[in-house]
Amino acid sequence: MTLLLVGLGFCLLGVLTSALPRTYRVPVTASCAALGCALAFCAAMRVLVTGDTVSFHTTLILPLNGFAMTLDPLGALFIVATALVGFASCVYCIGYVRGELQSRSAMGLFVAFILSLLAVPAASSIATLMLFWELMAVSSMLLIVVEHRHRREARDAALWYGVMTQLGAASILLGLLLLTLRGGGQTFTEIKSHADALSPIVRSSAFMLVLLGFASKAGAVPLHVWLPKAHPEAPSPVSAMMSSSMVAMGVYGIIRVGDDLLHGGTVWWWIAVVALGTLSALYGALHATTSTDIKRLLAYSTIDILGLVLIGVGAAGALRDTGHPAVAQLALMAALLLVVAHAGFKGALFLGAGAVERATGTRDLDQLGGLIHRMPVTTTIFALSACSIMAVPTLSGFSSEWLLLQGLLHGFTDASTPTLIALLVGIVALALTGGLTAVAFVKALGIGFLGQARTLGAVNATEVAPTMQIAMALLGAVSIVLGLVPGLVVPLINRAAQSGLSRSTMSPLARGTGLVLAQLRGAIQPAFLFVGAAAVLVAVWLINRRLVHRSARRVDAWGCGRDVQTARMQYTATSFGEPLQRVFADVLRPQSDVELTHVAESRYYEQSLKYQNQVSDAVEQFGYRPVIDAVLRGGKAARRIQNGSIHRYLAFGFVALLVVLVVLA
Amino acid sequence: MNAATYTGALELAAGAVLVSAVMTLWRRQVRTIVTMLSLQGISLAAVALILAAHEHDGALALTGLLVLIVKGVIVPGLLRRIARLDPRSRETTPLVNVPASLVFAAVLIVLSYVVSARVTSVAPSVATRMVPIGVATVLVGYFMLVTRRRAVSKVVGLILVDNGIALVTFLLTSGVPLIVELGSSLDVLLVVVVLQFLVINMGEQLRRSELDQMKELHD
Repeated sequence: MTLLLVGLGFCLLGVLTSALPRTYRVPVTASCAALGCALAFCAAMRVLVTGDTVSFHTTLILPLNGFAMTLDPLGALFIVATALVGFASCVYCIGYVRGELQSRSAMGLFVAFILSLLAVPAASSIATLMLFWELMAVSSMLLIVVEHRHRREARDAALWYGVMTQLGAASILLGLLLLTLRGGGQTFTEIKSHADALSPIVRSSAFMLVLLGFASKAGAVPLHVWLPKAHPEAPSPVSAMMSSSMVAMGVYGIIRVGDDLLHGGTVWWWIAVVALGTLSALYGALHATTSTDIKRLLAYSTIDILGLVLIGVGAAGALRDTGHPAVAQLALMAALLLVVAHAGFKGALFLGAGAVERATGTRDLDQLGGLIHRMPVTTTIFALSACSIMAVPTLSGFSSEWLLLQGLLHGFTDASTPTLIALLVGIVALALTGGLTAVAFVKALGIGFLGQARTLGAVNATEVAPTMQIAMALLGAVSIVLGLVPGLVVPLINRAAQSGLSRSTMSPLARGTGLVLAQLRGAIQPAFLFVGAAAVLVAVWLINRRLVHRSARRVDAWGCGRDVQTARMQYTATSFGEPLQRVFADVLRPQSDVELTHVAESRYYEQSLKYQNQVSDAVEQFGYRPVIDAVLRGGKAARRIQNGSIHRYLAFGFVALLVVLVVLA
Repeated sequence: MNAATYTGALELAAGAVLVSAVMTLWRRQVRTIVTMLSLQGISLAAVALILAAHEHDGALALTGLLVLIVKGVIVPGLLRRIARLDPRSRETTPLVNVPASLVFAAVLIVLSYVVSARVTSVAPSVATRMVPIGVATVLVGYFMLVTRRRAVSKVVGLILVDNGIALVTFLLTSGVPLIVELGSSLDVLLVVVVLQFLVINMGEQLRRSELDQMKELHD
């Protein structure tokens, strides 16, 4: 615990050092925060390895009940994931930071944001949790508007985010307070011991309120509207933190309250979680395929992956009291592994997108291309992480999604009908999103990094600073480790899942480098797979060299008979996503416009052709817009009674007093 | 003091408080209004002193003296000075004209008797029977605050409200602790001092002291 507190202390020091003069500010602040992350990582790792739970309590900092922190394996896992991305983002910052992000307040907020993310999973009383939760919300909201001078969209995004996150926090607070009705105490231990004494209605409504808040943080559809606006607008290291750690806090909250504090609750809670997850997975994946803004694409894919995580969490909750508790733990382990894997690859992808934006000045895929020749390192890591998110075997996305599939499949035996339906739907969602994610990332990689450069910005791109490359490589390595030898981290994930499921003692996976189900059928050895695949590749290469004896010949690509090929003839991101956009037009509701002007002499020849295609968020348009408009109308109507006359304001008070008196009399 | 004298004196003093409140609605000349206010302060102090004499309560007597000094002398004195800054100041066009105001005041007094019936019935005594007078003073003061245009009249309305509340507390609880009364009296004093600056400023900027001219609160 001391280690974690020292780590948080270093982060706090980082907040202070952001007041240093401009020349030292970024390196010193980022180093402090990176050190803090490293210490927090060690502290959390120790808890995961030993399985001990450590706690800390002082009455000095917060009034009434004091400040309570407990580090148990479940929280430790989330701290590990956060610390990894936090460390990488800090290192990345050293090369990246320029312009507005360099300012005192922005750097301070950035470190405060990391601090809050490291502290949320360790908070063990309502007051402490809400303190860090709000710090996280406020600092991230302010970080979104850091670049608001250049980008007007950032203001809108911050407003959306601010409203949604505050409503979410209020809902969480209300739900947690409901849990204190019986015991009165607000530490998690007290809540846990009194949870069973609460009436089922109170328990259910508390969980639903808490779920509402945490799910909106986790970007679950239909509470996701802020996410594709906010994540792209933040500076890239912040986006990486938001997308890989902050959304995971939503998942953490659901597991902590539902599984740990309330001991599982009833099945329909978890079926609701699976439903939310399914909806998010499909919706996010679908939107990712049609996005052309690279960071927006990544944000939608975050919704998608978090949806899969929620499916795992929901399946675990639904299965824990039926027949196979080991399968429930398997599903939870899969969800947790996916959280860590997602932190790795999504962090790397966002940092990569930041590198691209820095090098080319744009994040529109339709204006990129050919970056593989100019930014080889960035491209390699981006490609690796993209393969991981597409669940290519031997990478982390594959091992975690395989485990999730196993958890869902093995849950079929003696599951009740509603659970069975939920599991089936989850499996279908997993399969379908797998395909859609592949489309989205083939597009991001193929259009953005391969082919020819489409604009001058892409032509003139150069490789980014070494610190940025190191940071990306670090997160890329997470994908490889978790993918090749997932067995190494299985004991750690197992501990976290055990503590999440109220101290179960099962271990559904056997020890080893691969993933081998202990009592059930199913095993995978990515390391062997990799060796085998590598051997086949080498063999093919050797055979090719020996037998075919043909030296490589370099020619231009086939251009359908045309001599000159320009970059504009290439497939664009918009055209790549167009078929899917057509197929799913009912969900995506694209708005396309074709504007044709003819030459004055003849209508058979066109002078110019303009095509516009826009996919806006249907949930926002049909679910949120009417509410916002109604509120605005109400506000306008209420303004009419405000005319600035002091007599009128006084008269309001007088009339109100008279009405009260008459009613009383 | 025998019972009949006590009842008579208390009724007279409390009645004077309400009458002076209604008089402020009637008169237009700001200086006359301030004189009425002074009269009300003195009557209020009289109520406190009569109660103190009846119950042999030294603290209440002290409170009564304090009220006499602050509300009977200092506050009206300050207001008179403000009024003197604008010697011909008259409440020429109140938002509700004088006859209508007086009729409305009568309605308010009836209303306060109806409302206070319950309070009186809880502990019927000579003092609590006069609670409606205090409530009526509050309502008349509030009415003045709403309908009069001049800054000084508005403050007089505010002080009427304060005096009404003080009267109710004296009658119901035989006076609040001295420190509370001291606090509220100082508040009123502060309001008057602030008003002085306000009126001087308005006089310099707008050449008149009617709050109609100020619509800056808009937006």
